[in-house]
Amino acid sequence: MDNFVQVLIDGILSGLLYALVAAGLSLMWGVMDVINFAHGEFLMVAMYLCYWIGEILGIDPLFSWIAGGIFLFFVGALTYKLIIKNSLGKAAMAPLLATFGLSMLLKNFCMNRFTPNFRLLSGTIMEGKTFQFAGAIVSVPQLVTAIFSLVVLLGVYWLIKKTRVGWAIQATAMDKEAAELMGIDTENIYLLVFGIGGACVGVAGGLMTTYLAVHPEVGSLFSLIAFVVVALGGFGSIPGALFAALLIGLVESFTGFYVAAVVKYVAVFAIYLVVILIRPKGLFGW
Amino acid sequence: MQLRKRSMIAVVLVLSLSLMICASAFAADKVIKIGALFPLTGPAAVSGQNCVNSVLAAADVINMKNPEINAPLAAQEGLLNGYKIEIVKADHQGKPDVAKSEAERLYNQEKVFAIIGCYNSSATKPASAVAERAKKIFMCGCSSSAALTERGYKYFFRHAPTDAIESDEFVEYVEYLNKEKKAGIKTLGLIYENTEFGKHAAEEAQRAAKKAGLKIVANVPFNNGATNLNSEVQTLKAANPDAVFGAALGGDYSLWVRTMKQVNWLPKIAINYCTGYQNPAVQKELAADGDYFMGGMGYSPALAKEFMPEAVKIEKKYYTPRSNQAFDSDSIQEAVMLLVLAQAIEKAGAVDTEKVAAILRTESFPSALSLSGSVKFNPDGQNANALSVITQIKNLDYNTVFPLKYKKADPVFPMTPWDKR
Repeated sequence: MDNFVQVLIDGILSGLLYALVAAGLSLMWGVMDVINFAHGEFLMVAMYLCYWIGEILGIDPLFSWIAGGIFLFFVGALTYKLIIKNSLGKAAMAPLLATFGLSMLLKNFCMNRFTPNFRLLSGTIMEGKTFQFAGAIVSVPQLVTAIFSLVVLLGVYWLIKKTRVGWAIQATAMDKEAAELMGIDTENIYLLVFGIGGACVGVAGGLMTTYLAVHPEVGSLFSLIAFVVVALGGFGSIPGALFAALLIGLVESFTGFYVAAVVKYVAVFAIYLVVILIRPKGLFGW
Repeated sequence: MQLRKRSMIAVVLVLSLSLMICASAFAADKVIKIGALFPLTGPAAVSGQNCVNSVLAAADVINMKNPEINAPLAAQEGLLNGYKIEIVKADHQGKPDVAKSEAERLYNQEKVFAIIGCYNSSATKPASAVAERAKKIFMCGCSSSAALTERGYKYFFRHAPTDAIESDEFVEYVEYLNKEKKAGIKTLGLIYENTEFGKHAAEEAQRAAKKAGLKIVANVPFNNGATNLNSEVQTLKAANPDAVFGAALGGDYSLWVRTMKQVNWLPKIAINYCTGYQNPAVQKELAADGDYFMGGMGYSPALAKEFMPEAVKIEKKYYTPRSNQAFDSDSIQEAVMLLVLAQAIEKAGAVDTEKVAAILRTESFPSALSLSGSVKFNPDGQNANALSVITQIKNLDYNTVFPLKYKKADPVFPMTPWDKR
């Protein structure tokens, strides 16, 4: 029973982290139909930023995630302004290839500047803190990240569903030309969506610095899982991303423990394939 | 007059250019290109970079005059009366398919005489198959999968002790602890990356454990580069083995250790194959969390100080300025392979693959960077003098605990629990 609770908690905590990483991607993909291949590298940049803030200024990731979110907001917006905007409307694959190029640039830049070494912040406020719950051990850094994830996701959901900006985002996603005819500045909406997408992954990266080592490849698997989360949950759907991420976290955790650790990602991708075959728009797609 | 002056300038220019081209062609003839194929990006990039730096350090030993270093070829400049070694770096990203294509590129386009690599056994396997087909020499420093030297290859040479040798040593140490320290180790857990290296290490561990009557209660392969190892460590914890043998490289190793801390579990003893355990950069990041783990090693600064004084000189002069740390047990073996290859070329008297390979197969080579002091290859290409000791890390120092001949410290046994550190 203890094992079951432990596996359940691990799955939920992992799932909530995946949800936060995937939320930004979901917006970008859902609203603009642009696949941001550099999403994992955005995560890596945020982790490096918060790592160096911790190393040089001694500010704990518990606070520096704010800097991660703000910085990545601008990185996202700049990416749209300088790269995506210029590649939209050209060859069908142009934005995808452009962001792929950006991902290579960011990864190799960090490899060159920071070497491939693994960097882990030590002496952080939450380092190594755990507590017992129903016979299971809960990691405080992961729990805090999960709570932040829920708060950020709720915030983004509120923004989209309850504010005029959010309605404009939804309108742009549904029909760009009609939205423009209604007086919506779709250009600014795109800019904002890329900024929010960047901010979400920036917050995730900042918080992850507490318990995960930073290195140039750290974003690779997270970005792959984020793509699966978005496609599974439905493009542009924040509740969909949350549900899909929890599903993936739980499948990964239960398969890893009760079947075999080596097949946990096989199970994740198998579920993704089945859902996409049955419902191509994802579980909660617009 | 003006015309004559211009003609003269043109002639001088042409002559100068011709001389430059001749000089560079002459210089090119005096270079022996060696490929260094390692994971320079990807999950094992830290170790790959260390391996390249190690090979570059060995090249400096060969190419420059180092009279203060008492090692073959160190005192002279270059080899074969003026040949220099040129290292051509290549990155296989830890991927077998990339290793294969990079090996083809190195041999066919870069025209390297031999390749040194590839760290990951899974990459070494296809890359050395390319070499064997092309009848080119492949020098393998630290890839430890026993299967690599069981293929009947003629041009493949490996320095490191295999997983089979290390497994036997680990089990022998467990038996020693049971006998001398009444350790009561009866069960074993295995955690390893699901690659050529990890799978073979696990197979050899199972074979050795069976011989010694150790019961394997957890067998946990995992995909390298994972986002978390929660279920893997949970599986180990649920089985609660007395001892764990681990085969996790680089970042996966540190993730494994930290996840064990998170779930507040440790076996009595954890011994690692050629893994992140041996990488000082990984240990530096783990700091005190890395303490009390053990691993097989062919090098540590303490061992070097006592048994390999020339290695310390080479490390100080050529390796540390590049890597900003001491040699590690993996990377140093890549340097050994370049130094052995250079000796074989010198003995052959020509840059001739067949002659050099024949010398590698038959002769013995002194090696200042090997714990055993020399290298001698068996007909299958395995170094017959491969030697590894078991160390335990404490405060970033690797203390030798076994075999008794090399023992420097008593082991902390069982491992100190996380909540009592």
